[in-house]
Formats: sequence, C-alpha cells, structure tokens
Amino acid sequence: MAESVSYTEKLKAWNRKEVEKIGEKAPVTTPYPFIDIEKPPEYRGIPHINPEKCVGCGACVNACPPDALIMEWDKEHGVKRLTYNAARCIRCARCIEVCPTGAMEPTTRFEIATNSKEDLVEVVEHRLAYCEECGEYLDFTERQIEYVKNILPKEIFDMYALEDRMKLTQDAKMRVTVEKLRELEGVEYPAYLLAKRGDE
Amino acid sequence: MARLKSVWVYHVDAGSCNGCDIEVLDVISPYYDLERLGIKVVPNPRHADALLITGPLTRQTRIGIRKAYEAMPPKPRIVVAIGTCASSGGIFYNSYALYNTSPERGRDRLRSGGPEMVVPIDMYIPGCPPSPEEILYGIAQLLGIKEKKMHGEYWKALPPGEEGDGVSFTIPERPLSLRLWITLRDELRRVVGYYDRDAVLDDFMKLLEQAQKDENPRERLHDLVTGYFLKEKDSRVKVAMRFLEETYWSLVDEYGEWGESLRKIGKSART
Repeated sequence: MAESVSYTEKLKAWNRKEVEKIGEKAPVTTPYPFIDIEKPPEYRGIPHINPEKCVGCGACVNACPPDALIMEWDKEHGVKRLTYNAARCIRCARCIEVCPTGAMEPTTRFEIATNSKEDLVEVVEHRLAYCEECGEYLDFTERQIEYVKNILPKEIFDMYALEDRMKLTQDAKMRVTVEKLRELEGVEYPAYLLAKRGDE
Repeated sequence: MARLKSVWVYHVDAGSCNGCDIEVLDVISPYYDLERLGIKVVPNPRHADALLITGPLTRQTRIGIRKAYEAMPPKPRIVVAIGTCASSGGIFYNSYALYNTSPERGRDRLRSGGPEMVVPIDMYIPGCPPSPEEILYGIAQLLGIKEKKMHGEYWKALPPGEEGDGVSFTIPERPLSLRLWITLRDELRRVVGYYDRDAVLDDFMKLLEQAQKDENPRERLHDLVTGYFLKEKDSRVKVAMRFLEETYWSLVDEYGEWGESLRKIGKSART
C-alpha cells in the first residue's frame, strides 16, 4: 500500500475482535452480534455517493452491471436524479473505478440488513442547465458545465468561442455556428481544420 | 421486538447460484455458530418459524416458495431474503427466466423484484454473497440484539457558486491542472486497481508539490520518486510510481506542444 496509508498500518488499526475484547484466550466462536466489530480495510462494502463532488454525468450508470445506479430524468422540472440502491448492488466497484470526479467512495460498511428497502436508497438531485436562447432544459447539469470549464484549456474556449455556445440546445448551437462561420467567410479555412497538431 | 423463543428456520433456494447457500452453511459452522442464538435449520417448513430465501425467484420456484410459505405455522411467519438476488432480483432482474411482475420491470427507485413478488419479506440482507457477519447482523436485528443502522438519503446538489438548502459543489485543490489529473488517473488504471489507485495518486501529488518548489522540477521529481522507490516494499506500488512519473512528463510535453500550436493559430486568426 502507498506511503500515506500503509497497508500494514491500516491492518494494525483494524479493530480485531477476539484478541483485545475477550483477552488472551479467544474462544472458537466469534462474539460478534454482542460486540461491535470492523471489517478489514480492503473489504468491499457498499459504495457511497459524495454529493459534494458528484457532477451527475452518469458514468457510473453506464458502468453498473445490475443497474443499482439509475438516472431518473425529469425535464419538466429541470432536474435529474442519480439514484443508488444497495439492494441491487453487487459491490463490483466498477462505479468507483469510472467516476471522473472521485465522488463514488468505497466503504467497509457491512451492517446494512434492513426491514424496509427505503433505507437502502441514496438519491442525489441535480439541477439541469437551461438554454439561454429558448429556455429549454439541456441534458447537462450546471455542475457538469463547470467541470468541463475547468478541464479544457483556455485557448480552446477562445478558438471556438465555447463560452457563448456552451449553454445552448443542439438547434440553437447549430444556428449560432453557421452565423459565426458566415462572419468568418474571409478566412480561407474554418477554424477546426487549423487546429490539427503541428499545422501552423 | 425481541423474540424470547428459539426461531427455527427453513432454508429454501429460489434459483440462486449457490453462493448465498454456502454463506448460510458458513453461518451454521462453529466460528459463527448461529445455533447459539437459538436458530436451528429444520428440514420441513411445517416446523419452521422463519423462511430463509436465497435466489432471484425463477418461474419454476415461484410455486414452491408459495407452498413452503403457506405450509409454515401462521405465526410468526418471518421471511428473510438473503443476498442481492433475493432482495431485488440482482443481476438477473430482467432475465427471461424470472417471475417479476413489478410495473417498471425492476427499474423503479426501490428496485422491486425477487421473492417479494410472491411473499412479504421482513428482513433484507443484500450482498453478493453477503458475508457471514452480514447474515448474523440481519438475524441479530430480527432477534432484537442489534439496532438498524442504515437510513435512506436524499441530497439536493446545488449548482456551483450557490449556497443554501442543499450540498454545495467543490473541486479539491491539487498541484496540477484538472485535465492532467483526470488523464493521469485514467492512465494509472492500467497498472493498479481501484483500491490502491487513489492512494498512489495522492502520494504522487505530494511528491509533485515538493518538486514544483524546486528550480529543476524534472530532476527533483526523479530524485523524490527514487527515494520513494527505495523505501516502498510493495513492488506493484513501485511500478505504479515510476509509471506515473513517466506518464506525467510525457503528458506535460504533449499538452505543452498542443498549447503552443493552439496559441499560434489563435494569433494568426486574430490578425
């Protein structure tokens, strides 16, 4: 394990039940339901969505084999809800692997038995961005747009005038692009052809 | 509700892959010893107070489950669903072989499916398969030894820069750009799994932060990574660290070239 959290250190911190709590002579049977225990650090418990980091891109929904993660679309109210249900989850940790923001967090939680399935549901409600021209809701959340703004370099935004077109629906985007190209008729090549690597 | 009397259980398989059945066997073994709680597995539903169901309820087993449920004494008639399949249908939820009458074909928020289509269920123990402790916890909760710990969550994610009723958005601070971080994280997947990946990347960030203070970050980072290399005992982490260093500099070069050419084009387009 890596330096910051050494695996052996983690194992030492793991609250082993028999040795400390019962004394030297551990009985064969675990005293588990009558004491509290922890699972080892690498135990694959149910994952957990961190709503501070989640952008609502749906990468986890694509990756989830048993559809424990589902995106609920509600375009009339301008929201989409990422719902996670531990009752469907097989703990394969694919969602943790594909999450681009690190919002899916692994846990070692194992005490999840319940008498009602309502307790196993986690929902994150995301607000959709809306088109500045026609007022319709887009497919993206405002957090997604903010995240893309942080990823792409500034030159690309300048070159394609992305700032103006980012919050538009597909139709409006096409119209604006055609208008822009007409303005630039004097230029020999359109801008996207010039962007090839090494071409000056 | 604590039950003072011993609960006798009847274990029935509703088309499971036998993973959960083996875990039920484990729970009866001397280490976990379910029988000290008064639980006894009996071979006949007429003697049983509780039904342990594993499996996603295939069409063929539907009638058998119903019959076993009706054969049990009318009180207390507890049903325990063991495993993800028995809780919601699991990975088989939309299979042709299953009996699933849920209106949205198991894609509603509660993910209905499994044996709850024919019998009411008192305790869900999800897991694929659930470890013996998980099964013990579920049964201890039925007997009133343990308390319920899970509860549902509903968060409202606020758009960036907004505060109020909900959770605000944060992007963690890092010593390199978000674009590089995402690419590095994705590349690192080739050499380490999900469990070690974030820890290794965090360590690399720390080294990078130290190296960036130096005049010659390339050599300094190489020294730091070599020091890490000598200290670390796990060879997989060593390989991942070297891989990260190489990938980082190749990415920096590549993106640098891109940036240069982009800036040139930007200038020529403006003039």
